[in-house]
Formats: sequence, structure tokens, C-alpha cells
Amino acid sequence: MADEFAKGLAILMGGGLAWLTLAGWYRTPSFEGSGVQLVAPVETPATIYGEIGIALMDVLAWFSVIGALTFWVVIPAVEELRSALDERSG
Amino acid sequence: MSDTDSDSEEVRTDGTGIVPPDDETPSWQERKARHEGLSRLTYEYFERARREDQDLRQQSSYVERDVLAFPTWPHEMIRNLALVSFFVGMIIFLSAALPPHIGPPADSSSTPAIILPDWYLYWSFGLLKLGPLNPDISLLGGQKLMADRTYGVLANVVIVGFVAIVPFLNKGAARRPVEQPFWGAVGVSGIVFAFTIAVLSVKNLIQMDSHLLFDLTFLLPIVSAFLSYAVLRSMREGYMFNLNRRYYRLRPPK
Repeated sequence: MADEFAKGLAILMGGGLAWLTLAGWYRTPSFEGSGVQLVAPVETPATIYGEIGIALMDVLAWFSVIGALTFWVVIPAVEELRSALDERSG
Repeated sequence: MSDTDSDSEEVRTDGTGIVPPDDETPSWQERKARHEGLSRLTYEYFERARREDQDLRQQSSYVERDVLAFPTWPHEMIRNLALVSFFVGMIIFLSAALPPHIGPPADSSSTPAIILPDWYLYWSFGLLKLGPLNPDISLLGGQKLMADRTYGVLANVVIVGFVAIVPFLNKGAARRPVEQPFWGAVGVSGIVFAFTIAVLSVKNLIQMDSHLLFDLTFLLPIVSAFLSYAVLRSMREGYMFNLNRRYYRLRPPK
């Protein structure tokens, strides 16, 4: 059970850090002042690397959210369900 | 535990019992040689301390172990190396990937519109804004005994004094909040008050009625104290308490 938590946490932290970095590059006009940070509209990328980064940004954001929820909610719920079914049949 | 004792008594090798003195510990004969003056006094003092320690160890249910910790090298150092590598790597990564923007130098000839201390001093700044609590004394004809700013400075003295007194009221024997729910609740309310008083210090930036914010500053810590006390008390009764009995047994003697 602790392993599942650690896996979810690792996904959330790792994916979140990568998303944070890319969002700091492509979706933050400035870190100074009271402007929007990390979720501002995407600046048009000039290079192919920029386009890859922007595509990767959304992938990483959803990966960290869904990955953490999978290990913290879905897998434990499935195991609970399975043990409950086993008890009922056994 | 003289030499003859250790010969007659079988030495337990399972890690329990009193560990026999090694070569560096003075023998009983050496100790008893000090039979007059200051040497006798110090001998008696240390012998009594040792005896009391031995009695306490025999009375307690604490499991004595030969290995009290892992050695510094290599066990602790390898763990520390891993932690240091992680944090150094994180600093290098962040400074390379997201370098901080360095703004223009501060203009010393113009004063900014809003002057605030650093965020970790907001609580003290908030205590300077307790003017509404400063009582109008009717004996003085509705005048205040001291100026609001003096009152705010004295409030700092009260809070710092309370924080200084708490260690004398409770010596911190509890290793986790469930063991002493009352003091756990005091701690939680203190943390919440540190936050609410910090929010009060920047009340002009908070989208809320300032009177409501002032009331919440003092109500929220009380509410959180009651809540955390109730939660901790119910946890005491519950499953975790039984689960951790072994942890209590392993505790060193008082």
C-alpha cells in the first residue's frame, strides 16, 4: 500500500516538475508583477522544439494528475473491490 | 556487577540486560580506592548516578539493544549523499531551466505605495493592527490608557512571552499529538493564529469585510483548537492507539 502511494507521489512530483518547467517557458509572460503565471495563453512557438514542448506540456499535466489518481484511488479501489468479492464468494 | 559477579552470572548475549563494563570502565576496586576527600565525593556522586540509571533500566520495559544506531560510515553517509545529490541537482536544474528574473535596482528616492515587511514577519505586523482591542477606559473619560501603536508593541511582548512560557508548562514528552490532545490543540491553534494574524496584517489586500476578518482572526484559532482536540481524542480511542502499543513499549525510561 505504501508502495502505491510512493508511485503516485513520484508521478505527481516528476510530471509536475516537468510541466512546471515547460509552463514557465511557454505560458508565463513574466514572473514579475501580478500577471498570470503558468496558465497564460500559449505564446506561438517559433521552432519545432517549441511545438514539441507545448504538446508535451499538456501530456505531462494530465499524466501527473491521472497517474497519481490511478495509484491513489483506482488501484486501491479495485483491490478493495476484489477482496470484497472474494469474501462474499468464499 | 563486579568481576566475580560476571563470572558466576551467565552473560546474556541476546542484547537484553545490562552490558558489562569494558576495559575503559574503571573496575570496582579502582572506584573503591578513592575513599577520601574530593575523590570520594565524586566517586559517590557518579556511583549514585550510575546506580539510579541501572535501577531505572531494570525497572523499565525498554528493550536494551547493543546496536543503538547505524554507523556514520557508510550507512548514514550514503543516505546523506543521496539527499544532498537530490537537492543540489534540483537547485542546478531550476537555476538552469527557470533562471530568476533580476529586476531593475530599487529606487531609493521614491517610497512605494504599500510598505510591507517580509512575509515571515506578517504576524508581528498584524499585531500592530490590534487597535480595535485597545479599551477606552471610562475612568479616564473614555480615553485610552496608551496609544494604539504602544498597544500593538505590547501585544508582541504578550505573544512572544506566551511562546516562551509553553515549553515550561509542557516539557514535550509526547512524540505525537494523539498522546496529549490538549497540547496538540494548543499547537494547532497557535499555527492557525499565526496564519490569521498574518492575513490581518495585509487586510487591505484581502477581498473581505475588515470587521469580519478581524473577528475571524481570533475565532478561527479557537474553533480549530476545539476541532483538533475532538479529532485527537477520538483518535486516542481508536485503532491507531492499539496499533502503536509496541512503539510505547520501545520508549526509553523516564
